[in-house]
Amino acid sequence: ASKKKVYMLYNLQPDRSVTGGAWYSDQDFESEFVEVLNQQCFKFLQSKAEAARDGKQSPMVQRNSSFATSHEVWKYICELGISKVDLSMDDIETILNTLIYDGKVEMTVIAAKEGTVGSVDGQMKLYRGVNAILQPTGLVKTPCGLCPVFHDCHEGGEISPSSCVYMSEWLDF
Amino acid sequence: EEAHRPKMTVQETRLCGLLLREHFGEVVEKVGTHLLRSGAQNLRTIVQETNLSVDLVKKCLCVLVQHGACLFIAGRKGPGSPTEYRACCDRILRVLRYPRYIYTAKTLYGDTGELIIEELLQRGHMTMSSTVKTVADRLTQNMEEGHSLDYSDVSSTFSKLVETHFLQRCPPVGGAGTSGSAAPAEAPATPAAPAAAVSKALPTPESFPDCYTVPQVTLVGRGKRQLVPEDGEDQRNAKRAKMNSETHGDEGIYWQVNFERFHQHFRDQAIISAVANKLDQTSSEIVRTILRMSEVTTSPTATCTKPLSANEIFRSLPASYNIPRQILDQYLSLLVDDPMEFVGKSGESGGGMFVVNLHRALANLARATLESIVQERFGSRSARIFRLLLRKRHLEQKQVEDFAMIPAKEAKDMLYSLLSHNLVQLQEIPKTPDFAPSRTFYLYTVNQLPTARMLLQNCYKTVANLIERRLFETKENKRLLEKSQRIEAILASLQASGAEPEQLSEVEEMISAPEKQQLDVLRLHVNKLDSAENQVDETIFILESYINSTSTS
Repeated sequence: ASKKKVYMLYNLQPDRSVTGGAWYSDQDFESEFVEVLNQQCFKFLQSKAEAARDGKQSPMVQRNSSFATSHEVWKYICELGISKVDLSMDDIETILNTLIYDGKVEMTVIAAKEGTVGSVDGQMKLYRGVNAILQPTGLVKTPCGLCPVFHDCHEGGEISPSSCVYMSEWLDF
Repeated sequence: EEAHRPKMTVQETRLCGLLLREHFGEVVEKVGTHLLRSGAQNLRTIVQETNLSVDLVKKCLCVLVQHGACLFIAGRKGPGSPTEYRACCDRILRVLRYPRYIYTAKTLYGDTGELIIEELLQRGHMTMSSTVKTVADRLTQNMEEGHSLDYSDVSSTFSKLVETHFLQRCPPVGGAGTSGSAAPAEAPATPAAPAAAVSKALPTPESFPDCYTVPQVTLVGRGKRQLVPEDGEDQRNAKRAKMNSETHGDEGIYWQVNFERFHQHFRDQAIISAVANKLDQTSSEIVRTILRMSEVTTSPTATCTKPLSANEIFRSLPASYNIPRQILDQYLSLLVDDPMEFVGKSGESGGGMFVVNLHRALANLARATLESIVQERFGSRSARIFRLLLRKRHLEQKQVEDFAMIPAKEAKDMLYSLLSHNLVQLQEIPKTPDFAPSRTFYLYTVNQLPTARMLLQNCYKTVANLIERRLFETKENKRLLEKSQRIEAILASLQASGAEPEQLSEVEEMISAPEKQQLDVLRLHVNKLDSAENQVDETIFILESYINSTSTS
């Protein structure tokens, strides 16, 4: 964030683009706050998905009831009362997007009638918790897969498979 | 195709060398790796450049050809020029996967299937009759005294393996599967060999109509148990079995393992597993059914399976999945709607026509593999950045910070770390023709295919590392291992000749308790390294399959 000092009239509400929005207090990015919101949103979606599975309905109904609209998630977070600042639905969607990039959540967009709660421009965003399609892959179960000096290692060199301490530790584990 | 394959990498050559050494010995390794590095060469050149005797080189080439690790082709300098030999890197790398092929055969066709595949992998290619006899003998060995296995039991399993295409006939002379008796000569390839003059057009086994035809064999008898072997008798018996001159009607018809078919099976397993993880058990059973129905109708390079109607799928579901037709339709619809696009809908007749999107599934599996590697190696937040870039293609640093919600300083560090490991790339897009930095977009990007290629090389290096370590551990304990083997041999012969318990324990005590412990530790280490090699091979399989699928898409 820029260190430029900005002045404005005392009684005016600054636009979020100037303050840094809900995620900044003063100049600091509130990492912990974001992390907590990330976890809470995920928990909410996870339990919704579980409830849908336990409901033992037909697959279509099950899948549909595992989704939550961004509005539902926003409402849940507001009611939790963990935020000192007011969070908008947009803010929540930003958090939900990080969950998508974490590979934990997927989103669909559906058409919604104008005026439906939570709809924006005739559309609603639906989110749900998802599972990974793969277990951690074989490569990362070996010391080499995680080795910081992988590229310096070769047989006969100072760092080599025969003399590798990471291998020795891993073998004796 | 061999001719179009890009040059081999250092890691591939290193790994091939280690695999050749372990399975065929150092001399074959020397000839094999020489050919891998030098490309196609004739016999004389190989002899000159490896400094080995003509005899030795010929024997090595025999072994390599027998296993399909080397092809011979007519000389490129026109008719009359000496035959050239070319090593097949891909085929040599398959040696790493042997345990998986054998284990799969066991799960599908029991011990008999396991041994058939194991024998064929060991020998490269064999006739049906000698395979059946050898396997019957081996299985009989493990049976109770007085019991033996009938040849027909083994023959029927062999036939099943052929029917399901796990075994195939070796292409006739000119390809990889010639009879082992003739040493490769310097004469040009025979005119009968179809299209052997140009390496590009080497016939595939499947281009021959009898590829999956089980020959008529007269094979009557039962497995023979070997007597407790004294020194050397074991070898003499084995030699005798090989020189047995009984004929069964299938002389000259050789069989080999069809690796592609096993790979198709592994791919199907990976897809079914992915569906089970993402969705649920029933969805994965439906996909399993579609894949099973498509086993022999899908070519190895197909983008998706041939369309099947919902009616057909419904009829083919396993009996234990008693779901109503409307529910099946729902599951199919959900599979089609899933963002992973495992299943696609290609028409409306028969209640809807469905396909499994094989290439799409491989791309998704590869992507998940890359993400897994980044996650474990660099942490969750770097993984978030990685996934973000995979989705959004090109982003500036600020955009990465905003979307990933990671503060500037940390995001920068993470990006630079990923950059230095070549997991993300930086593209410069100038806003003005002078490329001035202040007027240039610096965009971060991830390209799945080149990244997969790079990580595949890392996998090859990792497996080579594991093998080297395993060889090192064994070498370190060589003296102790030899001592232990000698004592085992002494114990075995003492027991056979009915020795007293005191004599036996006297021999057992020749190896001390700390030595025993050292051997136990060694065994533990070797097993751990061995299973790690197999685990990395699973990663290799996904990445290779994905990369290969992109060249035929």
